[in-house]
Amino acid sequence: MRILIIDDDEDLRHLLAHYLKQQWPGAEVEEYDPLARDMPGQSFPLGAYDVMILDYMLGRGDGLQWLAEFKRRADCPPVLFLTGAGNEIVAVRAMKAGADDYQRKQELSRERLVASIRDLTHEKLEKTVPPDVAARMEGHNLGARIRIPGIKVLRLIGEGGMARVYLASREVDDVPLVVKILRPEITQDQRALARFMEEYALVERIQSRHVAKIYDHGVSADHAYLVMEFFEGGDLHKRLQVGAFSPEEALKLFRELMFALGDIHEKGILHRDLKPQNLMFRSDGSLAIVDFGIAKHIDSIDRTGHGEILGTPRYMSPEQVRSLALDLRTDIYSAGVLLYQMLAGRHLFDGETAVEVALHHLNTPPPPLPDQLVQYQALLDKLLEKDRDARFRNADEVIGFLSRKFYQGTRALGAETTMPLH
Amino acid sequence: MADDIHKVTVAKDLEDLIPTFMRNRHKEVETLRAALAAADFEQLRQLGHRMKGVGNSYGFSRVSTLGKQIEDGARSGDRAALEACIAEYGDYLSRVQVVYE
Repeated sequence: MRILIIDDDEDLRHLLAHYLKQQWPGAEVEEYDPLARDMPGQSFPLGAYDVMILDYMLGRGDGLQWLAEFKRRADCPPVLFLTGAGNEIVAVRAMKAGADDYQRKQELSRERLVASIRDLTHEKLEKTVPPDVAARMEGHNLGARIRIPGIKVLRLIGEGGMARVYLASREVDDVPLVVKILRPEITQDQRALARFMEEYALVERIQSRHVAKIYDHGVSADHAYLVMEFFEGGDLHKRLQVGAFSPEEALKLFRELMFALGDIHEKGILHRDLKPQNLMFRSDGSLAIVDFGIAKHIDSIDRTGHGEILGTPRYMSPEQVRSLALDLRTDIYSAGVLLYQMLAGRHLFDGETAVEVALHHLNTPPPPLPDQLVQYQALLDKLLEKDRDARFRNADEVIGFLSRKFYQGTRALGAETTMPLH
Repeated sequence: MADDIHKVTVAKDLEDLIPTFMRNRHKEVETLRAALAAADFEQLRQLGHRMKGVGNSYGFSRVSTLGKQIEDGARSGDRAALEACIAEYGDYLSRVQVVYE
């Protein structure tokens, strides 16, 4: 395999080459320095390479312009385009200009690089396609077939049990968006389809800045989709991978989560699946809840099967584990689990299996916080009460507790101009 | 004193790349100082942006953090902040000790 890396950063070129040669010792990797050389001309043998990695910043040159020129050539290999964090518009433009994949440089690990290169070159590398690559290819192909008015679907960026998530853009101004497309096999399941479309109806009802905006939705013979807000800041899961937050930061995020829950609960909606992956951040740092896939209106018909448990075991409330009828307090418990994780830097409960973790919620007292966080113990204890009658009743009550113990300011829902006491 | 050392843990397989990486970082400090002296905020912004990208990739999160601060300072034209960041960067590089694992 022959790989061409075009990047003005020598260290990044060396690092990418290193990862690629580790993975494919027989690969020939050429590092092209755009600071020392002009854009490859027509005589440059692009076709001799199996894949190109092209950075968006080229010192003297513009990566997007180079990409456009390369893609005019019939012999241009697949291109992995590198962007910077918070630069999704560049990614959108690159994909529209023909880039075959993109990665954010700051998040580019060995694994992600290898996965991208493997996806782009699988026909040349392997006679048979590994299942994970095949699945991603199917996802990419589906995205390429989807037609949504005014929207360009660009690239698969995530997969869940029910839907695939794509980076997309508004055609008129390239604003990044997310398109969630129900998996084809789920579309045939009327109950699952109803649940997917109910997500739209629920979120449309909420109209809160703490909830991801949904711009469009649709159902056709082949697929069902939601067009949603794109979050530049990523999700809480990514932030938690770095480790525990400072208590101040954890409490600030938790308080914002309480305001968010207050907004959705006020509309009579339970989320039922709060977890780090469902808490997203905008570029201004504000938090929003996403994925109302298993949310429900308190009074609605429950679309779960008899005894079917929905939710994520690590963050489930005891009553969810028991398949009892749920109320607002189930989200309060899950939020408490999140707060524990933000403060302590580890999961509340661990286990070999999902069932083992779920059972801990029923039977195991929450581990105490480290000594230096003892001032938050009373808050956590009340959030994580196994008996929901002993728990905080609602988000308003939690916000009031936070105000009395940690902040100076008003207790009213929606009021966010307060000063921390510490 | 142990407190004066900044230990950075880097994957063993990157050991061969680190000398070049560190050499480039030292050159970068000089370039930053020159750009500040010339009030070339665009170059400062680009250098900060590059630091932001490359630091974490090699396990030097402090380089990324300083890169962001330099990028932000260059955008706002805050000379005092830039001077402080660049000074801290130089100091950091003089005290950094790489540990391979």
